[in-house]
Amino acid sequence: MLLLKNIAKDFSDGRQKRRVLFPTNLECRAGELTVLSGPSGSGKTTLLSIIGLVLSPSEGKMFIKDQEVTALSDVEAATIRLKSYGFVFQQAMLVEGLTILDNIMLSFAIQGQKPPADNHQKAEALLKTLGLEGTAHMQPRLLSGGMKQRASIARALIKDPPILLCDEPTSALDAESGQIVMDILKRIAIEENRVVIVVSHDARVFPFADRLIQLESGIIVSDTQESNTEGKEILNETD
Amino acid sequence: MRSYVALRMVLHDRSSTTGALLGVIAIVFLVGQQLSILFGLLNYMSVLVDHSGADAWITSENVRNADAGNLISGRYIDRVMGLDDVQWAEPTLIGNGLFLTKDGSYESVRVIGTKRPRLAGGAWEFYKADEGAMLDLESITVDRLDLEKLGNPSVGDITEIGGTQVRIGAITEGARGFQGTLVFASLDKVRDISRTPPGRYTAILIRFKESVDKKAALQRLRTILPERSVYSTSELSELTRTYYFTTTGIGGSFGFSTVIAVLIGVVIISLTMYTSVLGRVKDFAVMRAIGARKIDIAMVVISEAMIIAGIGVFIGFILLSILLNATNGSSIPSFLPTQVPAILAIGTVFISLMGSLIALRVAVKAEPASVFH
Repeated sequence: MLLLKNIAKDFSDGRQKRRVLFPTNLECRAGELTVLSGPSGSGKTTLLSIIGLVLSPSEGKMFIKDQEVTALSDVEAATIRLKSYGFVFQQAMLVEGLTILDNIMLSFAIQGQKPPADNHQKAEALLKTLGLEGTAHMQPRLLSGGMKQRASIARALIKDPPILLCDEPTSALDAESGQIVMDILKRIAIEENRVVIVVSHDARVFPFADRLIQLESGIIVSDTQESNTEGKEILNETD
Repeated sequence: MRSYVALRMVLHDRSSTTGALLGVIAIVFLVGQQLSILFGLLNYMSVLVDHSGADAWITSENVRNADAGNLISGRYIDRVMGLDDVQWAEPTLIGNGLFLTKDGSYESVRVIGTKRPRLAGGAWEFYKADEGAMLDLESITVDRLDLEKLGNPSVGDITEIGGTQVRIGAITEGARGFQGTLVFASLDKVRDISRTPPGRYTAILIRFKESVDKKAALQRLRTILPERSVYSTSELSELTRTYYFTTTGIGGSFGFSTVIAVLIGVVIISLTMYTSVLGRVKDFAVMRAIGARKIDIAMVVISEAMIIAGIGVFIGFILLSILLNATNGSSIPSFLPTQVPAILAIGTVFISLMGSLIALRVAVKAEPASVFH
């Protein structure tokens, strides 16, 4: 489903180049909840950003269902993100001023296309599934942190994306809300046969993982399914 | 959806929306008010020509405005009256005099002499009495707006202009010239006031017959009278307006005021839209991450600007119309030609869009990757 071949990333300030992700190979399959973990600065968010097509890799190739998506234009990347990805962020990041329903629809029709006729029923059904019945016409500020995060999951799922990327989805939540969110993500991965990738350093998340990948200093140091210890390259410095 | 998102954002971000609205309203109101005074003054400049009822004017050569012609001979009346094109030809005599007020002081007035009984080039609207009063040789008019300045004379009052006795026969409405108070009187009375020799006039007014091609008739007049200037009424009106507009600095003054008003509006719109977008950068980054293209973000910001501009233009025009209604009939010249509000509205929307460009630039640069921790 999702295949990364020797994906690496360098950041440069114009004078110095720093490698934050060393050549990485990774294959993620549908029906599996993968957790990317590691200390701060380990490269897990960089890897997630590359997988999410919001950051271009410096090296390597990436494929979604055998289609190469490594060097896309901004418009092409946006269109693939719209069609194939759902995103859940650390903060719910719902747009203030829009109702919960509007926020969910935002994900559906941000490129200006006409939403399908059954979109409202679908959104209502999703909210019900996520325990947010009756919140459709509320403003985000009226919801608790956990409810907002579940609303953001609804926004991510409204298009039925095959890939769901979650960046620290539980870190801003209390234990109970975090448990509920992870239960939902696990169910989405297994029952709805999607690729679900969660970046987290929250140990409470690990029991939900079908696959746990640990990163350190830009290298995958452990993978419960396979190991990836590609050679670490010497830092490149340029004047 | 994008315009709906923009609308919800505009309604939610009340403080920045209010700020941007103030910018738009400032443009519409200040520019509209400046333009209304400018057009009001433009009307004053050519008021005598515009209300003359004539099709053409014969004046001395090299006339630069309707108020500054040399005197011409009355024999031209006989010459043009013999032409098949001409329905009538009437002289007008314009001079200056000092109006004696009730308290013994003097006010400078511009006196316009018209020939009875047609009174061509005479008063066109009356506040008290009517045109019939002007058939009396002694009668003059004063304008309602000048009554206080002239010591509040009433119809029937006797006074003097330039040492010549006159009687207030009627009070006109809106007869004001760029050079000040306009007083209409008979030709003979104006000749006495301005000490003009008999048979000499400021201009001769021509009305062509209905069936005549007026352009061709005008051309024939020019051929017959090469030693004199022959203008159509619209030509002389434009000539007069252009003269005052360019020689008095009024154009530059109003142009400068208008530019300042526009700049103030643009700065207010730019700053508030910029601040608003800065507060929404995360939202735009989220939209980009979930699949919005840069053009989609641009559409949201442009829609915001259009919504604010639309509401601002509406409120601005309401305020402007209140001002214009309040000053209507006052001594403040104000007039907006029918096409000006539409041009002002379109211009303001355009300016609002320009004002949102900085905000637009910030919004489309929102990095989708920034939404990740």
